[in-house]
Amino acid sequence: MNNKTVTVDVRDDIRGGREPFSRIMNAAAALQANERLLLIAPFEPVPMFRVLEKQGFVHTGKATASGDWEILFTRRPETQPMKAALAEVPKNPRHGAASGPAQVVEVDARGLEPPQPLVKILESVAALPAGAELRACTDRRPMHLYAQLKERGFAAVTEEQPDGTFLTHIRRH
Amino acid sequence: MFTMTGLLALGAGVAWLVLQPDILATYHYNQYVIAVTHLFVLGWICTVVMGAMYQLVPVALETRLYSERLARWQFAFHVVGFVGMVWMFRVWNMTQLAHFGSVFAFGVVLFVYNMARTLRRVPKWNITATAVTAALVWLSLAITAGLSIAAAKCDYESAMEQSPPAFVVVMLHGLQSVGGFVAHFDPMSAMHAHAHLGGVGCFTMLIVGVSYKLIPMFTLSELQSRRRTAWSVALLNIGLAGSFVTILRRSPLKPAFALVVVAALAVYGWELRAILRARKRRVLDWGIKYFLTAIMLLWPLSVLAVVLSWPGLPLNKFTGQLENLYGFLGLIGVITFAIIGMSYKIIPFLVWFGRYSRQIGRARVPSLADLYSARLQALGYWTWLAGLAATSGAIVLSSATGVRIGCGFLALGVAALALNVGRMLAHFFKPAFQPFTLPTSTTPKTA
Repeated sequence: MNNKTVTVDVRDDIRGGREPFSRIMNAAAALQANERLLLIAPFEPVPMFRVLEKQGFVHTGKATASGDWEILFTRRPETQPMKAALAEVPKNPRHGAASGPAQVVEVDARGLEPPQPLVKILESVAALPAGAELRACTDRRPMHLYAQLKERGFAAVTEEQPDGTFLTHIRRH
Repeated sequence: MFTMTGLLALGAGVAWLVLQPDILATYHYNQYVIAVTHLFVLGWICTVVMGAMYQLVPVALETRLYSERLARWQFAFHVVGFVGMVWMFRVWNMTQLAHFGSVFAFGVVLFVYNMARTLRRVPKWNITATAVTAALVWLSLAITAGLSIAAAKCDYESAMEQSPPAFVVVMLHGLQSVGGFVAHFDPMSAMHAHAHLGGVGCFTMLIVGVSYKLIPMFTLSELQSRRRTAWSVALLNIGLAGSFVTILRRSPLKPAFALVVVAALAVYGWELRAILRARKRRVLDWGIKYFLTAIMLLWPLSVLAVVLSWPGLPLNKFTGQLENLYGFLGLIGVITFAIIGMSYKIIPFLVWFGRYSRQIGRARVPSLADLYSARLQALGYWTWLAGLAATSGAIVLSSATGVRIGCGFLALGVAALALNVGRMLAHFFKPAFQPFTLPTSTTPKTA
């Protein structure tokens, strides 16, 4: 199968002090089934390996002669494209959003000792595609999370579930 | 601020015992024992517990602290009050003691008010909220009892002779009345009843109630029986109320209420065991080990409590030393060991959150375990345990040299704790996160 490669070069973003996460994750989310992602960065982007691995990608990489890194992310054959993995659901009316479907990324942070739920949710928030909603399931109401989300420009609403767990809906302001 | 002040008081208290070991090797109704006891209770235990409650209660009960400003004001009253009280106990100046005691008590009023307003916001009442409320009530009564005992020891004649303003006269008459009422009771009994209000009513109640929230959280488990949790707190309240009255009146019913308290702790231990058996995290870290060892020490403490509550027990040198041992094991064994254990869970989190929460998802941040040394934790655990054993033996044998050696071990335990806290706080000055913009490797990698 001939795979088309989508290239995302984040060297200027990083050198300019800009956050490259959203750009990378938006590109990954937009990939078609026969497409792969080439990421060019000024260093080996190890944190992205873990994030994209969870989204069903494998990677190969090498350092170039200039010292930059080129990493090729390819979807594992058994996984669906990310867009398909993201549920299409109505926006939560409490967020005041207009009608229409929104992407939902679900994070299960149950069964983790504090502060791991906080870390897991905030790492997922950093990689949240624009316009998407993150739904985080936790054993306890995430009291330390709200101020962090607010500081990063996100709003959150938490609901207690019938089984005693908590579901937090997170969206950009 | 609260934690650091508490640690300083703990170090000062242990150092005091090393320098003056006869405090524990002789009978406890003297100014030095009372001074060092208040240094441990108010300076160390109360300070750390109050600081932890400002942080924990809102999180554990899913609400917000009513006022941080009140907490800062309370800290000032608290420090001035307890330092002055300890000093005045040492020089045995009852009038100045009452003044500093009033400053301390005003701080406690601010603390209780702040906590009560915070508790009013709790969206879902549970056993932890009930225990915290009970602890606040017992703390208020302990402070009232302590001030009343001090009022009974004061002389008001000289103040009256200076023709003070009318409101001062009214206040002095009130204090005289309180003092006259307390004078009806045996001073030793009043002191013991006051000590139980604080030690059992406030601190043990908090250990029980807060651990119902924290132990399941840290061991990845759940409460196993809400009925058991309710019984443990209810029995503790009933047993303490009965113990206070029977101790104060030297009643033959003392053992009955001591047994009710022991039954409460047994139900608590039963539930704790069930929580631990259901845990998903099999390995227990040092913080939890410290805490559980403290809970195990409730066994010998309970036996001592029942023995000492026996009405026919003669008061001689040996039983006097057993009373010293009871106080020592309760404050330095159970309560301090439990606090150190919980501190190893709480302080790293507060430092980590304060220093690294803004970097999560933006940089690689250290884990909680990276903030402290497990070796120092182990060293602190074993030296503290050795110190407890050696000092306990020395107290029973009335050996000042033995107390000095035992407290030397305790001092090593404090040093290990202080070093570890220093390592944690160092992250504020030298953070260990790695920004994503730094290269992590220079060699090509193929996955």
